[in-house]
Amino acid sequence: MDEELQFHMEQATQSYLTAGMTAEEARRRALVDFGGVERTREQYYQQRPGWWMNTVLQDIRYALRGLRRNPAFAVTAIATLALGIGATTAVFSVVDRILFRSLPYAQSERLVSVGLVAPIIPQEFMLGGSYYDWRDSQKPFSAFTSETGVNPCTLTEHNPARLNCASVEQSFLPTMGIIPLLGRNFLPEEDRPNGPKVALISYGLWGGHYAGDASIVNRLIDIDGKQVRVIGVLPKDFEMPTLEAADVVIPQALDEGAQRKAMPGAVMYAFARLKPGVSIALAEAELQPVFNYSLSLTPPGFRKDVHLRVRSLRDRQIHDVRLVAWILFSAVLAVLLIACANVMSLLMARAAARDRELAMRSALGASRGRLARQMLTETLLLSVAGAAAGYLLAEMLLRIFVTIAPAGIPFLDHAQLDVRIILFTLLLSLLCGIFFGVSPALHKPRITALMGRSIGSGRHAILRRALVVGQIAVSLVLLAGAGLLLRSFRNLEQEDIGLHTQGVLAAHIALPHYRYDTPEKRMEFFLQAEAAMRRLPGVLKVGISDSLPPGAVSSDWIYNNIAVEGEQRSTNGTGGTVAYSWVTPDYFSTLDIPILRGQVFTEVERTSSEHLLILSSLLSSRLFGNQDPVGKEVQLAPNTPWYTVAAVVADVKNAGLTGEDKPEFYRLRRNLPEEWTADSTMVLKSSLSPAAAALWMRSQIAQIDPTVPVEVETLSQSVSKLADRPRFETALLGFFALSGLLMAIIGLYGVISYLVAQRTREIGVRMALGATRLDILGLVAGEGVRMIVLGGAIGLVAAVAASRLLRSMLFNVGPHDTGTYATAMLLLALIALAATLIPARTAMRVEPVVALREE
Amino acid sequence: MPPSSDLLQGTLDLLILQTLVMGPMHGWGVAQRIQQVSMDVLQIGQGSLYPALYRLEYKGWIRSDWGNSENNRRAKFYRLTAAGRKQLESELDTWDRLSTAIALVLGRLPEVSA
Repeated sequence: MDEELQFHMEQATQSYLTAGMTAEEARRRALVDFGGVERTREQYYQQRPGWWMNTVLQDIRYALRGLRRNPAFAVTAIATLALGIGATTAVFSVVDRILFRSLPYAQSERLVSVGLVAPIIPQEFMLGGSYYDWRDSQKPFSAFTSETGVNPCTLTEHNPARLNCASVEQSFLPTMGIIPLLGRNFLPEEDRPNGPKVALISYGLWGGHYAGDASIVNRLIDIDGKQVRVIGVLPKDFEMPTLEAADVVIPQALDEGAQRKAMPGAVMYAFARLKPGVSIALAEAELQPVFNYSLSLTPPGFRKDVHLRVRSLRDRQIHDVRLVAWILFSAVLAVLLIACANVMSLLMARAAARDRELAMRSALGASRGRLARQMLTETLLLSVAGAAAGYLLAEMLLRIFVTIAPAGIPFLDHAQLDVRIILFTLLLSLLCGIFFGVSPALHKPRITALMGRSIGSGRHAILRRALVVGQIAVSLVLLAGAGLLLRSFRNLEQEDIGLHTQGVLAAHIALPHYRYDTPEKRMEFFLQAEAAMRRLPGVLKVGISDSLPPGAVSSDWIYNNIAVEGEQRSTNGTGGTVAYSWVTPDYFSTLDIPILRGQVFTEVERTSSEHLLILSSLLSSRLFGNQDPVGKEVQLAPNTPWYTVAAVVADVKNAGLTGEDKPEFYRLRRNLPEEWTADSTMVLKSSLSPAAAALWMRSQIAQIDPTVPVEVETLSQSVSKLADRPRFETALLGFFALSGLLMAIIGLYGVISYLVAQRTREIGVRMALGATRLDILGLVAGEGVRMIVLGGAIGLVAAVAASRLLRSMLFNVGPHDTGTYATAMLLLALIALAATLIPARTAMRVEPVVALREE
Repeated sequence: MPPSSDLLQGTLDLLILQTLVMGPMHGWGVAQRIQQVSMDVLQIGQGSLYPALYRLEYKGWIRSDWGNSENNRRAKFYRLTAAGRKQLESELDTWDRLSTAIALVLGRLPEVSA
């Protein structure tokens, strides 16, 4: 192209020459006529089709060069973004599984859980006596089905395995919209009491135990000692609507006729599919008549406490985790905002510093659009890099979450970074990029910038200050929240649970049903085990119970079933629930539960025929008020034997760490087989080290029966496990609060030091005019303090408002606990002040002479 | 001297194509020709000429070859392609209609029935 233009030039010169000009004049005229060569060249390039792409590449190359020249800026920005985006992605992938994921059923939003709500069972349930009436006469559902829970069962083959068997109705799979991967669903004749034994196995079991062999269908396998035919394999994403793990699904095989007549019948969980256009409220209204009818058949005393409930399946699954999930998500978004504000501040500072360069480019002919595009390219590059780093961080964080998370939070172990999350990350990073790319892009370079003096742009300074104030406010909110949770968690840990855990081991034993199908066998096992435990030197006490406090899982008795000698039973509702357990005499002394009145069971009484009862203090005061109940007679349910109260013991926490204590009674496990259940816990107090004692326990049980699974842990471990959830929540929120605080402080530091750099000349002048170093310190620190105070004030108001959401998660701490707020504010103020003082010291050290010379 | 950027881009294309009808020419030659024929009214600077030439070349309406000029210097010669000829005809058509319409509105032509 140059050659062509050269030719053109020469021709023009020639024509002028022939017109009579001198050589020089001709050339000059030709050049003048020619116009700008560069411009032509540029326009030439612009005509090419691929030109636009070229400029984009040019922008990217330029941006990369710029970032390489300022590694500190680039690293800080990318690290901040990585933290913000990474944390958000990790939390989002967890929260997504909890709140947003699609349930593995056909049209899962139409599925509901239906049932009665009564004080005894936390989730809604149905009873066999009324279930069939409901199923047949209901109107709002296109399908109605049930399942009777998941129970342990054993696969008895050369590798015996403990499995979970779910019992479902024949219509269960079709109603939920689950299609077996292989094989078929149950037939109606298989869902009968003596029908052919069939089963569906889970994908995991199929792969793990049968190596994915396709010929598993129609094979016979051995469950609980009986031959069962496998009729199909369930899909990979199968799960029970109650979220219980199930390896095998079998027909519940209830005798419909017998159930209808039974009162109350088997406990079932019912699920249904709403007809199109029917809402949950409408369904509930339409079920009301059927519900009322069923209610009329129950004893009057119970009716008050029983309600109908219809709710969406998702609700049933997540109802107590929803709040936590939302709080976590908001917290992490707050951290992201702080991170973005930091990066925005950094970019604005950089844009102000590049004023000169931009002015130069503008003078050379770059349009504003081009400049803006270049800035945007830079910010997008930053955010993509930040997102990539953030994604890696998210992977790590997620792994950490899953490891430290308690068992109670559903789906956590399935949370992983899948395609949706990646897209979310990209979207987030693009939004961030545009969000803080806009402001620098709109920066218009002024001609005065070419003169070399960098003037602190007023508008931008205000924006940066506002950002820092915002960051401080948000940090305060996070700090206050984390502080509240921390306080609550400490309260939880220090709570007196009513028993001593020192040196006590607990062994949870669940006897397999098919081997120990008679109560005699069960009792024999436990008596042998007890004797074996006692033989170990160093063992002080051995007790057996069927449940262990302070676990929230206990058997429940209805209060109003209990009658006191000489008094009438109350018929007013159920009176709430009462916990109860079967214990051996040494139970109380093993756990060091104080005895308040009377004498606990003794060994002798194990062989007697007396019915003895021990009440907890709470139950005693409810039944007997201030009277001494020892020796009085109590009947636990109509038409059952009368028990004599032998003693009153102190209350023990039996409803989890945070629940209110329930009144409790204890019955003695005598040497009568009926009083022994298959699931029991042996507690052992010994002077041995826990490891040695655990080993002894396991070996002893293995000697009696090696197929019995035993879980041994120290009592402190069991108790501490209950605090897992609050510990997890506190840890997470604390992590977010700290990272938010860190980033806010970095932001504050950045702004103040930038301010100092900008005003170096001014400081020099001031000092030359007589200001002392202390005055300068006051000047700079004053800037910082103003921002801290403003941020703190806004943050305090926001924290008070936001912490109301935490109310349900706090234990023994009010959401407006002044101590926590004061500490949080103090912490924030101190750290922020420190961040301000460092650049202030630099300002103090300015030499007036040097500063005045600086340009 | 009216600035050549006043000319619409499309019109410049038309002028160039028309000029090339008579045979291949180099860029300088095209500019000279247009200047001469328009009696010095239209003076196209190289800033508009060459971008236009390259644009036309990318669109496939003209073709370029290197050759020797009258005074034995190497220059790029442009010539019309077949597609270019078709384009020229259609553009001439459009131009005729457009200019007649404008003239009518401005009252420069007596109104004639179609």
